[in-house]
Amino acid sequence: MTDSVQAAAGGCGAPTDAPLVTSAGNQAVVQGTVTRSGSPVSTGYARLLNTSGDFVAEVPLGAGGEFQFFAAPGEWTLTVLAPGGVRAERGVTAAIGEINRVEVAV
Amino acid sequence: MSRSDVLVDADWVEAHLGDPGIVLVEVDEDTSAYDKGHIRGAVKIDWKKDLQDPVRRDFIDRAGFEKLLSERGISNDDTVVLYGGNNNWFAAYAYWYFKLYGHHNVKLLDGGRKKWELDSRELVTEVPARPATDYHAQDQDATIRAFRDEVVAAIGSRNLIDVRSPDEFAGRLLAPAHLPQEQAQRGGHVPTARNVPWSKAAEEDGTFKSDDALRALYSEAGVDFGTDTIAYCRIGERSAHTWFVFHEILGHPNVKNYDGSWTEYGSLVGVPIEVGDPT
Repeated sequence: MTDSVQAAAGGCGAPTDAPLVTSAGNQAVVQGTVTRSGSPVSTGYARLLNTSGDFVAEVPLGAGGEFQFFAAPGEWTLTVLAPGGVRAERGVTAAIGEINRVEVAV
Repeated sequence: MSRSDVLVDADWVEAHLGDPGIVLVEVDEDTSAYDKGHIRGAVKIDWKKDLQDPVRRDFIDRAGFEKLLSERGISNDDTVVLYGGNNNWFAAYAYWYFKLYGHHNVKLLDGGRKKWELDSRELVTEVPARPATDYHAQDQDATIRAFRDEVVAAIGSRNLIDVRSPDEFAGRLLAPAHLPQEQAQRGGHVPTARNVPWSKAAEEDGTFKSDDALRALYSEAGVDFGTDTIAYCRIGERSAHTWFVFHEILGHPNVKNYDGSWTEYGSLVGVPIEVGDPT
């Protein structure tokens, strides 16, 4: 896999409840958690956009506020949506063999 | 058809919770979403288990659909309001499927499960008990479903809209890695197809863009609204989302969803395939 995102929601598949990986292997992993005042935000969505601002993948946040994408190496924009009109945006650089963490406090 | 006939918003659904004659149906691939919480009174349909034939690659037949809806307690006269995750992909697929078997009153909840959650609206775990009905379906409506030979014949003469991501269109990506059973043998796209990813039709919160924005989107992509159209993706649910936009929201009559989509086309022997980005 040399290009694009193979996150569950990047294709036709539904999001999976797979736990966050602890080793990137040969993937460029983008993962993190969303918190509000130190507590996980378990209802919400994380979206990955490419450098053109186009949608690539979306996953619902896990019970611990976590999200994970298997991205291509490169620059991405992560957008978090949560109830109460919460919207946060973070830039992230993904590299093969690395777990690229993004902690989002909203 | 127009937007107000086929889409309802969350306020409308809240105002009609429990109304007789209105049945909410959550449709997902990951049905654990329903089990964790759903809109009060909603029944669930499993995209794969309930709607696909367990042996052949095809839909359940008319009798099977009648049995499914009868068991779910849905009557022919009921207004069915569909919603689901993944920006309503599978709900749009179910909408198209209900239309295929002739159900008249079907609507989509605009924004689906995501918008409902982001609005902090109520979700419950209580599963409703609906008495069984005696549902009668129609024969499949062949005017909204395309098969492979029709797609091959449409090359260069009708609108073919590939609604997958640019990387799938170009042939760099076949499918998400966790779904190997749905991969095609070859990557690429049907020659002359335009690539308009489904996501461009939706806002960030999952609701559909305005009619004007939708028309502009497809016009700019070179789609000729005066020509018949076939939409496809990988397994037919993202293209059901686009079929819904064309046929139901914008009211274009001759639009079909090719549910065989790339998993079939990309495995056919002898058909033309193009690779690479749009020119």
